[in-house]
Amino acid sequence: MTIKYLDKYPKNLAKSLWVMKPVWTVFKLFGKTVTHRSMTILYPYEKEWIPENYRGRPGLRFDKCVGCGMCVRMCPTACIKLIEVDDDAGNKVMRPQVNVGRCAMCGYCAEYCPVDAMTVTPEYELAEYTRYDLLYGPRRLNYEGTTEGMEVHLELTLPSDIQNGNPERRVRLADLDKPELTDSKCIGCKKCAKVCPVGAVKMVEKGVNDKGKPIVRPEFDNAKCIGCSNCIIDCPKNALELKEVL
Amino acid sequence: MADSIVPVKEIEEKMDTDKMWVIMGPQHPFSHGLWTLKVQLDGEFVTDADPIVGYLHRGWEKETENRTYPKIIPMADRLCYAASMTYTHLYCMTVEKALGIDIPEKAKYIRIVADEVCRIQSHLMWLAAVGTDMGNLTVFLWCMREREFFLDLNVKLTGARMTTNYPRIGGVRNDTTELFDRDILRTVDRFEKALWDIIALIDDSSIFVSRMKGISYLSREQVANMGLTGPAMRGCGVDFDIRRDDPYDNYDKIDFEVPVLTEGDSYARYMIRVEEMFQSVEIIRQAVAKVKAIGKNAPYRMKVPSKVPKGTAFMRMEDPRGESLMYLVSDGTDKPWRLKVRSPIFTNVSTSKAMCMGCRIADVPAILAQIDMCLGETDR
Repeated sequence: MTIKYLDKYPKNLAKSLWVMKPVWTVFKLFGKTVTHRSMTILYPYEKEWIPENYRGRPGLRFDKCVGCGMCVRMCPTACIKLIEVDDDAGNKVMRPQVNVGRCAMCGYCAEYCPVDAMTVTPEYELAEYTRYDLLYGPRRLNYEGTTEGMEVHLELTLPSDIQNGNPERRVRLADLDKPELTDSKCIGCKKCAKVCPVGAVKMVEKGVNDKGKPIVRPEFDNAKCIGCSNCIIDCPKNALELKEVL
Repeated sequence: MADSIVPVKEIEEKMDTDKMWVIMGPQHPFSHGLWTLKVQLDGEFVTDADPIVGYLHRGWEKETENRTYPKIIPMADRLCYAASMTYTHLYCMTVEKALGIDIPEKAKYIRIVADEVCRIQSHLMWLAAVGTDMGNLTVFLWCMREREFFLDLNVKLTGARMTTNYPRIGGVRNDTTELFDRDILRTVDRFEKALWDIIALIDDSSIFVSRMKGISYLSREQVANMGLTGPAMRGCGVDFDIRRDDPYDNYDKIDFEVPVLTEGDSYARYMIRVEEMFQSVEIIRQAVAKVKAIGKNAPYRMKVPSKVPKGTAFMRMEDPRGESLMYLVSDGTDKPWRLKVRSPIFTNVSTSKAMCMGCRIADVPAILAQIDMCLGETDR
């Protein structure tokens, strides 16, 4: 490669600074500038083009969301909270509420959402008069005109796939890591079945203990499981563990 | 020290004359950010200088100890707003080293492209600041105009203008978007022509040159002893660039020159940075061609374990401002036990005494503009 600027310029500067040279430069640049088109825009009336994947405020598709709380756990500024709202059928469901005043627009909620309910939106004009107005509830988070390009897909390549010579296979994080049970620690409290947002945990009776009471153990439906690790966090005896596929 | 212009002959006994401390900053127009420079003046000449930093301290290193590894990436963006990509990149490289994994080739080249775009945009911001420090608003406006095109590239690639949150542990966030390689090549072609116009504004102006040429000399030995790094170091004759001498992420497979000058004055530091922009353009062209050659379906992001094994890892890289370093101590959990950041500016600004010594007070903004101050990383 060649040096482009240094070879050209460290010559005798005192000589090159003859009085006509700056004047010539000014006229040359003046001529260039007046023939240029304008570089500025009249902002409120004209707006810059922004691509689909622009990271503005987070958006939510209410019907797709399962309320797993993955966005709450991944948010680096802790601006998302799960609240209880009525869905269209009148049932109580958990949905995220975002404090946009604290949001850093990092896009993690959209990236780690296992069902692609959270999206990024190209909305960036978010000024309000009070801080309370900056709280975006689940219904208000909805962005009309959400397209495919606004979903952020977390597509991973497994290290084992690269070693086995299959580097073009992409997997989603939600399909990989599943909880695993340590049977000796489990007390059969059924908490994991209660917190599972997609109903992938089923309590199954497995024999009777010494006192004649039934032993219940969770059974995981891996096709339904989205790997949100809610059951792992809520397990009182740490009997569950996320098994990482690598 | 200069003698008095009119020789005063009647004074036979020498009397002590007072020296004055002038406090520049934190609200002075020359200080780009919140920092203070105390300069001791003997008339017009600087006899001592004392930089004071720490107004922007927010406990970054301590805060990272309470977060899982992926959550630190958006925080690393905010270490330096002008060069956010390089810090995120550095953090990801450190964690990858601790994990002992090798990321896919495509991710490495995309990171190089993103890094060099970031370097150009950071240097343009510096050039704009130099323009205003010396009283030329045209340089400022034109540099900011050029910078806007590179911010648009950031939007196209990552979805955000400045705090990009793009590199990930094990690769990058997303693949290059559609038509990105076409756009970036057009932008750098245009930029190369436009940069010559900006250079003409500075190099053909006797005001700029006389403010920078021959001012604030630093020798090679001084630079080595004080720990000055980056373009300022290379302007003083030290031939060292981490991209070439301790390559990370496939920089060894890319052909580029490291500009070095032996003048050691303000003007040399300016020239090094301008030449670096031209070299970054070359690096971008080669890296984009490499990304294209690897193909569309190649992997760009690997799955990594969430827990980092016990041990330490350190990684350094060539930031636009100098040599930045991160040192990670892990205790085997999903949170770092300690994450130390070495910021180049913290060391560079401590040389301001040696730089300003013996210069005139009016030259101080011009000298310290060459440091390319950024307080976010200095105070952390």
